[in-house]
Amino acid sequence: MKNYGISRRNFLGKAATVGVAGVIVPSIISSCARETKKVIPIPAKLDQAPDGPVLKAGVIGCGGRGTGAAINFLSAGPNLKIVALGDTFQDRIDSCRIEIKKQKGQDVPVENCFVGFDAYQKVIDAGVDLVILATPPFFRPDHLAASIQAKKHVFAEKPVCVDPVGVRSVMATAQKAKGMELCVVTGTQRRHQRDYIAAWQQVQEGKIGDIIGGNVWWNGGKLWHRDPNAKWSEMEYMIRNWVNWTWLSGDHIVEQHVHNLDVMNWFTGTHPVKAVGFGSRLRRVTGNQYDNFSVDFTFENGTHFHSMCRQINGCVDNVSERIQGSKGSTNCRNSILDLAGNEVWKYDYPKDKDGKPTESVSVNPYVQEHIDLVTAIRTGKPINEAENTAISTMDAIMGRISAYTGKEVTYEEMMNSDLKLGPKVFTFGPVDVDKTVPIAGLAYVPEPATK
Amino acid sequence: MKRFLLWFFPGLIVGALLILGGGKVLHMTSTKEYCVSCHIHPIADAAWKKSVHYDTRSGYRVACVDCHLPPKGKGYLWAKGKTGLRDLWNKWTKDSASFNWADKRHLEVARGYVYESSCIKCHENLFPAKLTKAGEDAHLYYTQTKKTDILNCINCHLNAGHFIEGYTHGSNSTFGNTSSAAKEIFTEPAKVNEFKSFTEQIPKSPVSFNMIAIPGGIFKIGSPDSEPFRKADEGPVRKVELSPFFMAEIEVSWNEYLAFYVQTAAEGRSTDTEGLRTKKASETDAISGATPPYGQPDQGWGLGKRPAISFSFHAAEIYCKWLSKVTGKNYRLPTEAEWEYACRGGSTGPYFFHGDPKKFEKTGLKAKLSKNDTTIINTYIIFKGNSLTKTQLPERVKPNPFGLRNMAGNVAEFCSDWYQPDAYSRYPEGIVKDPKGPQQGTEHVVRGGSFLSTASALRSAARDFTRTESWLKTDPQMPKSIWWYSDCFNVGFRVACEFDEKTGNAGLK
Repeated sequence: MKNYGISRRNFLGKAATVGVAGVIVPSIISSCARETKKVIPIPAKLDQAPDGPVLKAGVIGCGGRGTGAAINFLSAGPNLKIVALGDTFQDRIDSCRIEIKKQKGQDVPVENCFVGFDAYQKVIDAGVDLVILATPPFFRPDHLAASIQAKKHVFAEKPVCVDPVGVRSVMATAQKAKGMELCVVTGTQRRHQRDYIAAWQQVQEGKIGDIIGGNVWWNGGKLWHRDPNAKWSEMEYMIRNWVNWTWLSGDHIVEQHVHNLDVMNWFTGTHPVKAVGFGSRLRRVTGNQYDNFSVDFTFENGTHFHSMCRQINGCVDNVSERIQGSKGSTNCRNSILDLAGNEVWKYDYPKDKDGKPTESVSVNPYVQEHIDLVTAIRTGKPINEAENTAISTMDAIMGRISAYTGKEVTYEEMMNSDLKLGPKVFTFGPVDVDKTVPIAGLAYVPEPATK
Repeated sequence: MKRFLLWFFPGLIVGALLILGGGKVLHMTSTKEYCVSCHIHPIADAAWKKSVHYDTRSGYRVACVDCHLPPKGKGYLWAKGKTGLRDLWNKWTKDSASFNWADKRHLEVARGYVYESSCIKCHENLFPAKLTKAGEDAHLYYTQTKKTDILNCINCHLNAGHFIEGYTHGSNSTFGNTSSAAKEIFTEPAKVNEFKSFTEQIPKSPVSFNMIAIPGGIFKIGSPDSEPFRKADEGPVRKVELSPFFMAEIEVSWNEYLAFYVQTAAEGRSTDTEGLRTKKASETDAISGATPPYGQPDQGWGLGKRPAISFSFHAAEIYCKWLSKVTGKNYRLPTEAEWEYACRGGSTGPYFFHGDPKKFEKTGLKAKLSKNDTTIINTYIIFKGNSLTKTQLPERVKPNPFGLRNMAGNVAEFCSDWYQPDAYSRYPEGIVKDPKGPQQGTEHVVRGGSFLSTASALRSAARDFTRTESWLKTDPQMPKSIWWYSDCFNVGFRVACEFDEKTGNAGLK
């Protein structure tokens, strides 16, 4: 029988194939291949996508990231065009249009700029080959489904959803896209970053032995917030302030920390089956999100990974990953230490004009992911990251729910959960969602005073 | 010699076929026309012609061998040879009109004739662009579940190759909407003033049913080592004393269950299904009824007085709670001890009638060949040997010594006890009074055989249990229903009623 293999066990293989085309079989569970030296070849990364007929893209969600992604896309190679824009707000479209003109000299036709909740469909239908999805993540599953339905290639920003219903929707859409050989790249740019890929290769080849644990961090400052404005309806206010509302962003563990959790899944070749976490809201000003999480993830073989994320100014910052193996450890990026702490491998960064090594990869990973996308489209070798990122997003959702409820959350439970965030009706008026900040555990209730 | 001949002639034919130019013959014997020329089964032919596989959107007609043989290179020749021989044998020795075609449509039977690899050979892409939302969830579940023999394409697409009247695989929101016009609607429940059998009336419905007074007494639960087909969980034999109680004459019928369903049915799925699942039935305050079923709970066999099936243990418990509320009595599931006591009706052998399980075990042709007299078991029990693979009306069998029908067959029955294989050895010392079973467990006791059982499972002492996970295997909903089992259609239940101050036992006041 044909193996449709995306069963949980098979995620091991599948998860790895998609990111770096072609080669598989990393496993933190099996150690049988240790004796012989494995060699994991990695296809060379191109500095520019190959030339081809004009590839026309539309941008759905024209805020900071959408505009950035549009510029990254246009920087990926020759004959690339942005031909349509869509957003809920006119001012975002205007600023995006101006930025594209300023940086890349392209004029997006005014008649191809669409405003409103249904703008996404109009962009998809505007004669594009590819869409860039960069709205708040809440909308992603529907936008992705509509894009694939219309047979468009997709660049979708991470995270790909905010709840388990969204995860499953994206997983199904990913399968549909595979069936039609459409390309989907999902904004987890570490998988396209050359030093990360080299470190991953070392780990797969057994340099640190079997993976026995790890840490992932996104401890950083506050992002931004908007104060309510008398001219805005509640809906407009929430969307403009989306990184502070759980239903729109998934909370910051989902919206931002998913990057590091994705590295965890990528390197281990699988995903955690259980999460126990806590978190709180200490300094966030608006919305209903937390601003710190600490989560213990358990894998099927019993390995633990600890995840930590924070969005508070004035604290120690750290955005990185660290994986401990039986023979050594790695920062997943450019260095491997043996058990005694000696550096046994480091990434060979390109040298500058004076022959000094630089500290960064030669191609910006945010551009590299678009180069890889355009290359895949133009060479007819489809890549599809949607499922991987859906699973990484699920990790983050597990962590969030565990922190919100104080309970253990399993992957299995989440795959069977009907949790769907957000309102049912989308109009510029009041928004029918729970706006309270979740508090885990039981409060102390004093005994009634006795006489 | 007989065995030799059995293989000799078909062998000769196969040999000849192989010699006479393999490919062409293979092709010739694989056309629809060829299949139909020999397989004289007008019912299956007609159902195939009404199916979506015959009338496909692309105009391609899916032939018999496309589903009923594996793809070439995957055991095709072997399967073709094997089924070819079987078909020839059947054609020469049997009358196809005597076949139970309805039986062959059952999932369990159909699995033997339909190759999953063949489904997938044509349906390469399980996520076509036009797949619906419900389809996405179901196929995602299929692809992400470890491959087992339980979950096949035909679990959900049973009617793809042969049309089945009324088959639905979707939310069945009109289920149970039967007209109750022109029937007497009861306004009051039955009043019971003494310990005597009575007829219960369900208020606001035309439904009534008989409750039999079961006198208290002492009996031996379980079976001795010497009993044929005995399993370890049926022992050790223990003496049990039971107080008097009432037991329903028949298994809860669709009439009874639908009265509950119609009066309480929830309009849709509540979001608190998880909470309900973890709570015990006794902890829910308001009685919120079952959600609409997925598919066809009666399997298309009809409603009325046939035993209700396909609903969950949870649903059965809530039914009892509801029935208690509307009748003002204390209805509940019987305990395992009550069930066996009621089933035995004073008997101590394998059945409540005289008979040797070994002589009844064979069914079909083998039973005919064995020449064992099965009249007595046919009189009392609906089982594999006489059921035509579906539930039957309760009147078809004679009652047991207590006056109860179908204790041993028709459908298996839920009991209130948790199932533990060593439940009897956990009983306290001495004669046990009114045991309620183990304190905890994960699955509940199921007693009595069903229309699918052979004689060994029909014995009074035979024990079985619920299998929650596999009984929900193909429920595509997220989360799965707490009210209906998608993959269990041979278990129902029977209500017991307490003999207390509400039902004539003044002593309890």
